[in-house]
Amino acid sequence: MKTPVTILTGYLGSGKTTLLNRILTEQHGLRIAVIENEYGEVGVDHELVLNAEEEIFEMNNGCICCTVRGDLIRIMGSLMNRRDKFDHIIIETTGLADPGPVVQTFFVDEDMKDQFVINAVVTVVDARHIWLSLGKEGEASEQIAFADLILLNKSDLVAPADLDRLEARVKSMNHVAKIYRAVRAGIDIARIFEVGGFNLEHAIGVDPRFLEPEYPFEWGGVFELSAGTATFTATECPDPTMRLVLIPVGAGDVDALTSARDQAVRLFSSLKVRVLRSGAVVVAGPELQELVLQEGLMSWPIEVPADGHYALFTQHYPEELDLRLYSAGKEANASSAAAFKPDHEHDDQVGSVGIEEMRECDGPKLDAWLSRLLQERGQDIFRMKGVFAVHGNPDRIIFQGVHMLLDAQSGGPWGARKRKNSLVFIGRDLNREELVAGFRSCLKL
Amino acid sequence: MPEALRHELSDYVLDLRWSAQGRFLAAIPSQGAIVVFDALGAKLRELPGHVGGNGSIAWHPRQDILTTYGQDAVIRSYSLPAGNLVQAFSLEKGWAERVAWNPSGTMLAACVGKKLHVLDGVSGEIRQVFSEHRSTVSDIVWHPSNADEIASVCDGGAQLWKVGTERPIARFDWGGASLRVYWSPDGRWIITGDQTPSVHLYDVRADYPLHIQGFQTKVKSMAWQGSGEWLAVAGGPDVTLWPCSGKTGPEGVNPKQLNGHSAEVTALDFKPEGTYLASGGRDGLVLLWRHHQAKQPAVIARSAVPISVVRWSPDGETLAFGTSGGQVLLFKLAAAVSSR
Repeated sequence: MKTPVTILTGYLGSGKTTLLNRILTEQHGLRIAVIENEYGEVGVDHELVLNAEEEIFEMNNGCICCTVRGDLIRIMGSLMNRRDKFDHIIIETTGLADPGPVVQTFFVDEDMKDQFVINAVVTVVDARHIWLSLGKEGEASEQIAFADLILLNKSDLVAPADLDRLEARVKSMNHVAKIYRAVRAGIDIARIFEVGGFNLEHAIGVDPRFLEPEYPFEWGGVFELSAGTATFTATECPDPTMRLVLIPVGAGDVDALTSARDQAVRLFSSLKVRVLRSGAVVVAGPELQELVLQEGLMSWPIEVPADGHYALFTQHYPEELDLRLYSAGKEANASSAAAFKPDHEHDDQVGSVGIEEMRECDGPKLDAWLSRLLQERGQDIFRMKGVFAVHGNPDRIIFQGVHMLLDAQSGGPWGARKRKNSLVFIGRDLNREELVAGFRSCLKL
Repeated sequence: MPEALRHELSDYVLDLRWSAQGRFLAAIPSQGAIVVFDALGAKLRELPGHVGGNGSIAWHPRQDILTTYGQDAVIRSYSLPAGNLVQAFSLEKGWAERVAWNPSGTMLAACVGKKLHVLDGVSGEIRQVFSEHRSTVSDIVWHPSNADEIASVCDGGAQLWKVGTERPIARFDWGGASLRVYWSPDGRWIITGDQTPSVHLYDVRADYPLHIQGFQTKVKSMAWQGSGEWLAVAGGPDVTLWPCSGKTGPEGVNPKQLNGHSAEVTALDFKPEGTYLASGGRDGLVLLWRHHQAKQPAVIARSAVPISVVRWSPDGETLAFGTSGGQVLLFKLAAAVSSR
């Protein structure tokens, strides 16, 4: 029996330590060892809290995707040389840690692989402050991308609509993770211990949109506007411009938004764009427009022809530029809204791609494709998992990857389940068409 | 089957060490009391374990003094057979695993965190702290005869130090992390066992590096025959034997392969006069190989749990081994071995 390991990540102040203290004080009957980073702050008098100073071992092949945590190998190795075994091990990483080397440690080192299995990467997110770090290069996005379970903590300090948007955004980055909202890291601890690894079925089963195509916009919402002049305001943001369309729809519900979506896709693909500096007029009609985001506070008057519902589709999340819409003297809120998976034009973004195919795979072709893909694109593919129906093999074949490392094992017979292939990639700059085409080339003719 | 004596320790047997003259055998479990046996295998003393887990033990090369070390970063020395505590020094806290006496017994070295401390063997005063290490020091070894030279390993390979000189006198950085270090009895070779399944050899005199890879697992055990004629290495179920006495050592030579274990070999030791190699594995087997012959090793023991260490007594008459389950077994082998 391999000992399950939970990796706890999250920025300083996200509530990671609060969660750890909860796990340690709750009566769950499990014997837990905790490996804490050097600057940890666990206040709990626990029988087994070990301190680790993060030590990254590079491999002599020079591949940064194969780096491991030498301190963990040493400490966990010595833990396993004890007769009194543990039911579970929790590794707390520093707030700024890239989870990659921690996860890779359990793929690369044979001793770790033999004795431990990753139960979950749990990422605690401060719902108030995470917006500032999302979309940028760096640990916040990677911590979300690597997660199997994401805790949107401090959710009481954020307006419900903002929390919905945050959840949608996080989901667009990582479709595999289970997302829970929490106040003071309050979550049923059993949920953390039961994750049981990278949860593919969850990803594809719960959220069919995951398998949908990408969109040229990240967000859409329906607003009720009064005839006359409405106003957009925005503050400076990392992007120099933002494209949008604002089109009339029949109602304020999700169906209205969905029905307007295809029109918006067509409009976004038009070659003609109206470029609007601050002060220029936005048209509420079928026209692609681009706001120029200069420094400071900006505003644009909006010509609203008639009272009614209008669907707004934006290239970026409104939160990123603090985009607000005022009508009839007060701020207008979306009556319904949705996040859309951005297409590869936003390639600095972390995202997920899911693929499902019913036809059987050709084993050698699949092997070759995955190996080559991870070799070439491993830097940007954070995690990968697939359950495959391989021609001539009665078992479910499970592949798991982290960066350039790939591990395959049998998942037991298919039994009554329908044979099919499901796979998911989480990474940066993923190209859905390329991945789908690549995978299709592995299918049995 | 040779006759055996069995003892139970409190935990996984990390190491077994015979005193210089072979009068005593010390056994260190991963946690709990460190036990000293006499040469016949009778339990003599229990010495206190270290808080936070035990690290290693080392015998003084000339006297019956046993030094123990562990995660509390406390070095304790006891005189045997009485078991009296003769010295105790505390180092600053950090990962603390290895302690070693120099070949003349004048100095004691212990690593803690990224530092290697060298202490006076009598007064316990710190003689020198070598702190130029990229990561935590995971192993140290003294030169077999030069009393003031010591090697340490960490991420970035091996460093060679001389007491009295601040900086390393040599560095063997191959671009990765080394975990274990051994020095050939003739002083010619420093060998590291690495995080990647490989071994690096350095001809210290010629400043010439060599690299052996292709192991299934990390190399956990090595042993030298004689003064350094043969090196036995295990990284997987097979043991490979490399001739090291030639001008370029094992370079370009096909090693001898010993296959008898069905799981990873974790422990190796040559009989002092060099005719027999004992190996222990995760399969619970303790095997005896004669004159490097790959065929028909003698099965000394079949344990239900993995073997963690094997050690010959200095006179070559007793083979001691420890298991991951905490058993220590001693076999009188003189009769069995000579009959083969």
